[in-house]
Amino acid sequence: MAKRKKKTTERRSGRKIALLTELMAVHKRRTGLMRLIALGLGAATIGQAVLMAEAVQRIFVERAALASMIAVFAVLLSVMAVRTLLSYANGRIGLRIAADAKRDLRSRLLRSLAANPLLTARQGQTGGKVSVALDAVDEADGYFSQYTPKMIEASVVPLLILAVVFYLHAPSGLILLFTAPFIPLFMALVGIQTRDKSEEKFDELARFSGTFLDSLQGLVTLKLFGRAKQQEQKIERGSLSYRDATMAILKVAFVNTFALETIVMLGIGIVALELALQLVVFKTMAFHTAFLILLLVPEFYNLLKNAGTAFHGGRTSMGAIRNIETALAENAGSGVAASAEAAEPRTDAASPAAAKPKLGSVIPFSVKAAQLGSQHQPTLASRSEAPPKIELLDPVFRYGPDRFELRVGSLSIAPGEQIALVGRSGSGKTTLLHLIAGLLPPSSGEVRVDGESLTPEREADWFRQVSYITQHPHIFSGTIAENIAIGMVGVVDAEREVSREEIAQAAQSAGLAGLIGELPRGYDTIVGEGGRGLSGGEKQRLALARAFLKRPKVLLFDEPTTGLDLHTERVLMRSIDELSRTATVITIAHRLHTIRHADRIWFMEQGRLIGSGSHEELLNNLPQYAEMIDIGRQGVVS
Amino acid sequence: MSELSIFTKAMLRERKDILLSILGGFFAGIAGVVLFSTSGYLIAKTVFAPPLYTLIILTSLVKILGLARAGSRYGERLFSHRATFSLLSRLRTSFFAKLVPMPPGALNRQRSGDLLARIVGDIEGLQFYFLRVAYPPIIVVSVFLATVLFASFFSVWIALLLVVGMLITAFVVPAIAMIGQRKTDGLVRRQRAAFSADATEMLQGFIDLKVYGKLDGHRENLLTLSDELTAAQQQDAKRLLRGQSLHAFVTFFVSWGVLVLGAYLIVSGSLAGVFLAMLIMASMTVFDESAAMATLPTYKKDSRFAARRLAETFEDEQPTDEPDGMLDVSAPVSVELKNVSLRYEEAWRPVLSDVSLRIPAGAKTAIVGASGSGKTSILELLLKLQTPTLGQLRLNGIPVDELNAEDLWRKSRVVLQQGHFFKGTLRDNLLLEDDSRSDEELLNVLHQVDLPGRKLEDPVLEKGENLSDGEKQRLAIARTLLKSGRLWLLDEPTSSLDYVTERRVMQLLLERAEGDTLIWVSHRLAGLEQMDLIVVMDHGEIVEAGSYDHLMARKGYFYEMKELERQTVGEEDRGEAKRRLG
Repeated sequence: MAKRKKKTTERRSGRKIALLTELMAVHKRRTGLMRLIALGLGAATIGQAVLMAEAVQRIFVERAALASMIAVFAVLLSVMAVRTLLSYANGRIGLRIAADAKRDLRSRLLRSLAANPLLTARQGQTGGKVSVALDAVDEADGYFSQYTPKMIEASVVPLLILAVVFYLHAPSGLILLFTAPFIPLFMALVGIQTRDKSEEKFDELARFSGTFLDSLQGLVTLKLFGRAKQQEQKIERGSLSYRDATMAILKVAFVNTFALETIVMLGIGIVALELALQLVVFKTMAFHTAFLILLLVPEFYNLLKNAGTAFHGGRTSMGAIRNIETALAENAGSGVAASAEAAEPRTDAASPAAAKPKLGSVIPFSVKAAQLGSQHQPTLASRSEAPPKIELLDPVFRYGPDRFELRVGSLSIAPGEQIALVGRSGSGKTTLLHLIAGLLPPSSGEVRVDGESLTPEREADWFRQVSYITQHPHIFSGTIAENIAIGMVGVVDAEREVSREEIAQAAQSAGLAGLIGELPRGYDTIVGEGGRGLSGGEKQRLALARAFLKRPKVLLFDEPTTGLDLHTERVLMRSIDELSRTATVITIAHRLHTIRHADRIWFMEQGRLIGSGSHEELLNNLPQYAEMIDIGRQGVVS
Repeated sequence: MSELSIFTKAMLRERKDILLSILGGFFAGIAGVVLFSTSGYLIAKTVFAPPLYTLIILTSLVKILGLARAGSRYGERLFSHRATFSLLSRLRTSFFAKLVPMPPGALNRQRSGDLLARIVGDIEGLQFYFLRVAYPPIIVVSVFLATVLFASFFSVWIALLLVVGMLITAFVVPAIAMIGQRKTDGLVRRQRAAFSADATEMLQGFIDLKVYGKLDGHRENLLTLSDELTAAQQQDAKRLLRGQSLHAFVTFFVSWGVLVLGAYLIVSGSLAGVFLAMLIMASMTVFDESAAMATLPTYKKDSRFAARRLAETFEDEQPTDEPDGMLDVSAPVSVELKNVSLRYEEAWRPVLSDVSLRIPAGAKTAIVGASGSGKTSILELLLKLQTPTLGQLRLNGIPVDELNAEDLWRKSRVVLQQGHFFKGTLRDNLLLEDDSRSDEELLNVLHQVDLPGRKLEDPVLEKGENLSDGEKQRLAIARTLLKSGRLWLLDEPTSSLDYVTERRVMQLLLERAEGDTLIWVSHRLAGLEQMDLIVVMDHGEIVEAGSYDHLMARKGYFYEMKELERQTVGEEDRGEAKRRLG
């Protein structure tokens, strides 16, 4: 684990963040303004010190009358106010850039996720993806709101101060010039050493910090096995060793900070000593100048130190931005590769639509079809009342280079045909169904509906005729009625609400009426957050109710494997039979009943279609098929 | 503040480190103030052409102070961080100790893994409480008071001005900075939660959203949420910036005030001019030292929020006094459920409704049914991992609420559906009661559960990540076999195994449970011919019960389930099964 981590950091540190350059490029004017403000800030900082020194000089050395000082005091106060305002303005610009950048990052992430999560479904968990959009983006904030303004200030103001000090008194300037590089140097050392050390101890640290969560999660198991007491001691031991390991790392950082502060302090001390010598021994300097330098020196060091702190924060943020970049590349990677390949053979016509897939939808489409456009064509839905003819023209799908590849050749599904997809898990049944549904873009080849390629323009029309019942239908936050009515979204006129009778009728057909009747709030019962409170069987039936409401012309169905109650099983069988009377049905089938009733069975193995025919035909001609059916029965019958 | 009482208690235990870090911080602060005022004094003094030795003494003092300051800071950092991590360790341990006696059912079921991760995060978030909230004000105030005292030797008026300035930074500035805070308090947090929930829904419900044409709307909605979140975050950041800028201005203003007031005092003759530069430098430094206060309210809010969430974890669940009833296991245990119902508060229907069941001592029982039918809940009730809403459960005729839970667990052999595997070795994960087992014996058990070729020192990752589902199940069975107890409660122990291995493992378990009571929860129906009793459940109710032959002859619910299973073409990888059937 440590090795892997090290490798990634090595790889990462060498790479420039293209995303960051891209994000900052839009803000050229703002960063320019920040530089300008930094100049003003430098002038105000110096002006404040000058006026302060001037005032002390006049009062203390020249014994000026109070009345003659009023102007100086007033100007000093206004310079202070201007300085505060300028620094506030700089911060505000930083916040604006940060807000824009965060909005931009989140919308990129969301668009790439919404474009097609199925593409990346195999690569990561939902939680991680959401966390990138939330936590990583928030972490990135610091780069824009803190690091950028502080770095710009640090690149302007200290130089101005240095120039002034040199102008006033070169030896003091030299002291500053020689001590200043130690500050970024030590800051960098702190960073490098702590990083090295923490990488060295990474395993150890990870182990300790994980123990606690591990113990909490396994608390029930620990209790059942009477091991809770031992675990408590283990947590304490782990925490304490964690403390010691962390302290070892921090000590290095603290020692470096100690050295850094000593240098700053010594720098100030040396400047003060040198000034005093000039004043007293050589009598070459006025009090005014000396006090002015003494006021400027801490400002100089403080700015450098702040920049160092901001630099550390900036590095963390940059790490987060790298993570975001990686996530974006992962989301886009396979999809972009796929659509690029698909677009290649037919980029004959340059059309404005050609730029469109980049915006979000990764579903490729032929430019020709896009030019014809849906507005010139009768909609798919209105063309005929019969289910559409679906053709697969040698579609290929790949999740990425060297990954699983689906290649089923050219196939055609007649209107109203019943297809059962059969094969072992991992043989590509779900991928094929997604491809037919238009949820995944083929890398090459295409899927045609009634002779037309599926384009983003036609997508809405196509989905208007389709119902897709997954193994785990998603239940949206809302009432049961809303969850059923979602089946009609986009199918009926927007003005017409789906009536309660229609919903009740659909629920009745899906065998949900009994359950809903028992609920105190009936159809207005709130379900949601993934359908809490509904059993797996009930979610299936709810999905069926959606289909009954919609009466699709194409029904795509991923038959549940096990774990349903009998009632649902019966409802499912009956419902699919009923819906199939007016629809083409493509089912990923696990039940012999479904398989036997199919017009055609497609048997898949390792992404290929190796058999197509009726149950009897396959049983006789395809040993793999016969074996699978046989083993399925073995365990139960014996 | 009551939410932070756990923390305060733990802090008392680390008082030595805390005291040292406060001392370090105090000295560092004072040294800073003295350092800069001495420099100012030094320069002013030169105007009067003093003897060189006074200058040498003063400059050496400046350097010593510089070193002392850096040194004290080092000490402060070291001790404060050590205290923080010790505190963290204490918090973890005491939190865990507090969780142990809690009814685990609540933890297991209602609180998801995410919540546990959040608890861990909250405890870790509390480290900032000490570092950024609890002790910085002590240092700032003490350094400030010392400076005021110092200034009052030269001028009471200037000392008073410093006090006024401090009061403004401590009360007025935060108050102005926090204008509008109340309105948006927790807004960011709520918006983050909403964004997270919606984004998760978009990913998990993608197919349904897409097919039902709701994806675009959902995405736009998320983008709006994201914009709102960014805007709210920017509001918070603006407030922080406003506070920092105000703080900076007050610092300037006070030094300006010291200058003007000093000028007046010098002209009126009540302050020696040589101290003016010194006092200005002192006032600037002391306010610089208090910069830590600017971020304090934010950290304070976060810590309190974390502490409150932690406190809430314990609020609903009061540890009950464990009864001391012991389960007699000299003979097999009988099990009885009498009109048992279970219903979660937030749910709109019960998990179990009016379940009555009698399992004679020594019987082998299977509970079958669809997922969500309430099978697992029966086991959890028997193990006191849950409390029934209504009704009573009895073991050997004794109500379980009179039995001591720890004793009950010691005498049971349990395989949970979501049994946990810990980071460590295979041996660690066998969770042995004592060291009495020889390695040979352990390996033999691994062999029996079909985990041959595994070594006891093989590493196991968190949550058993490096084990397949089947391996986890076999390991869970192994640790049950190595445990003592006469009540076997097995929740889908073989659901991830192929039929042949399942058959063998079942056989093994039935042999080893010979003469004991065994309850086997399953949704698969293979091999149930050997059970004395089969209980069929559906949506929290028992629909059928009886022997295999009886149920098959009845041609009821079980018969139909059996028929359906016969009809099912397997989904699991049959490669292994094929090899065995070979």
